[in-house]
Amino acid sequence: MTRDSYRMTTMPIPTTPRRMSPAKRRENLYGYLFMLPWLLGFLGLFVGPGLYSLYLSFTKYDVLSKPEFIGLKNYVDMFTKDDLFWPSLLRTAYYAGVSVPLSVLGSMFLAILLNTKLRGITIYRTLFFMPSLVPLVASVVLFKVLLNSDFGLVNQGLRGLGVENPPGWFADSNWAVPSLIMMRLWGSLGGTQMIIFLAGLQGIPTEMYDAAAIDGASSWQKTRYVTIPLLTPTIFFNTVLGVIGALQTFAAAFIATEGGPGFATWFFALHIWKQAFDYFNMGYAAALAWFFAILIVVLTLIQMRLSRRLVFYYGE
Amino acid sequence: MASNSPNPAPIVAPGAAAVMPSAAGADQSANESMGQRRRLGKVITYVLLTLFGIGFAFPLFWTLSSSLQTWQELRSYTPHFWPAEPQWANYAQVFSLVPFGRWLLNSLTIVFINIPGTIFTATMTAYAFARFNFVGKNIWFMLLLSTMMIPAIVTFIPQYLLFFNLKLVDTYVPLTIGSWLGGGAFMIFLLRQFIMSIPRDLDEAALIDGAGPFRVLWQVIVPLMKPALSTVAILQFLGDWNDFFGPFIYLNTMVKYTAAVGLRTFQAMPLEVTDPRDHLLMAGAAIMTIPVLIVFAAAQRYFVSGVVMSGLKL
Repeated sequence: MTRDSYRMTTMPIPTTPRRMSPAKRRENLYGYLFMLPWLLGFLGLFVGPGLYSLYLSFTKYDVLSKPEFIGLKNYVDMFTKDDLFWPSLLRTAYYAGVSVPLSVLGSMFLAILLNTKLRGITIYRTLFFMPSLVPLVASVVLFKVLLNSDFGLVNQGLRGLGVENPPGWFADSNWAVPSLIMMRLWGSLGGTQMIIFLAGLQGIPTEMYDAAAIDGASSWQKTRYVTIPLLTPTIFFNTVLGVIGALQTFAAAFIATEGGPGFATWFFALHIWKQAFDYFNMGYAAALAWFFAILIVVLTLIQMRLSRRLVFYYGE
Repeated sequence: MASNSPNPAPIVAPGAAAVMPSAAGADQSANESMGQRRRLGKVITYVLLTLFGIGFAFPLFWTLSSSLQTWQELRSYTPHFWPAEPQWANYAQVFSLVPFGRWLLNSLTIVFINIPGTIFTATMTAYAFARFNFVGKNIWFMLLLSTMMIPAIVTFIPQYLLFFNLKLVDTYVPLTIGSWLGGGAFMIFLLRQFIMSIPRDLDEAALIDGAGPFRVLWQVIVPLMKPALSTVAILQFLGDWNDFFGPFIYLNTMVKYTAAVGLRTFQAMPLEVTDPRDHLLMAGAAIMTIPVLIVFAAAQRYFVSGVVMSGLKL
């Protein structure tokens, strides 16, 4: 990440800080002064609370009485006694496993379609982008109406097409997660990811296509052997961010179904939330949260490791 | 076409483009011997674009259409794509049933507290990282970036306890203090990238003229940062406008709710109070979406450039 540009502006740090020149000292002073607001926020809202939650994770704490130190009990309990732990983790994996590939491939496909010199292409780009502007709460309201099992437009359409028992969508425990995925795809396919893909497409040197054309490549071959390999860094970037986002998902599930029906959308992050703010098991929730943070960091590192084999960096 | 052009195109790493793509397609530009095949390709592209366009636009259209229907129309077994008579009164009814006006105002209040906060403190921090060589800079920068990876829920619980103990629950302090303390790693990163693209000579010239670092930043650099700052303002607006869990957990009094929490509250209210209210909820959803669309229409390019500026220097 920006390593080269960064290196250019970084002078070697002096080895004898005590005999710092006045200019150097001033630069240090200003550096810390300028980033002071962030530093305060970082320490007060991130490091402090983070450490406090680490401490809480070894306690039993219900907000009303003082935290009671219980060692590793919370961490042991989550694996052995919590009936919702594994199911919510699996459900989260299911959501991420389906939604991330669909959204990454979908937005790449849209970006490739949009990356053509056609008249009116900006209108399409705007059209694709607009759903991503709809606030989440508003899109939940919308999709709950659209996917209403009796009067929703989707089921009326399906019945019109001869489907006798269309799914109950949000009201059906088998269809609740797919409904959420549909809703999120609508709200995200044409958004940030697609724009990042468009930027990636713009970065592909024209010579590559010229060379492919001279070799007699068809449009499909150009896409397959030029566009996609050169887009792998962008695919990777969007996948990593997509996985991090999908694992943490729960706002939509919370607003649409509160984890139901019958725990069908009870994702891991929602489980943490419920433990903390509905049952006031703050210590246990903190332990879950820490486990979750470590899981996400590990998954991200694994993806980065994998990327070394799968991502092609042009010019390296 | 580019194949004969004499200017040597610079080799750009994929994804390094820092400007908004202007839909200038590369894959269409190479000569293709068969014009007919190309025309066919165009037709297929248009057909696909149109199909997807309808798919994306329809739910938006439906938000508007259903917000203007009566609940009987919306709940009938024969779908009405457009109301027999648009019920504009639905919108008025939303404002009278729940304090939606107040909620919108609250959301705006938070937005207008946070935008200057982020612009001020994120710019300062970004400038520190972009221009000064202070001891420990690389470590602080790594820590800054690492805050983006840790799930929000980890710090959310202890932060709540902190504000709870400080008796700041049910105030806007927990929802606004972050923007005055750096505005978040993403904003800082985005602004730092932008500042690094401004030539250092400008800073140095001003310094030689005797300006202090604060003046250099606010009088020389900031005026050049308008596009980046506009992007930051828009991202802040979107973030605050859409935020659900922050206001949901920190605000207890109904009149203090934001539009997002208010709409959800309206949705979750027990049904026996009124007739089915899907049409009113849709009106509420439309009301919440309209300000975002207006901002988008007014500042479209900044939506896009922000994404591209930040994402992309991988």
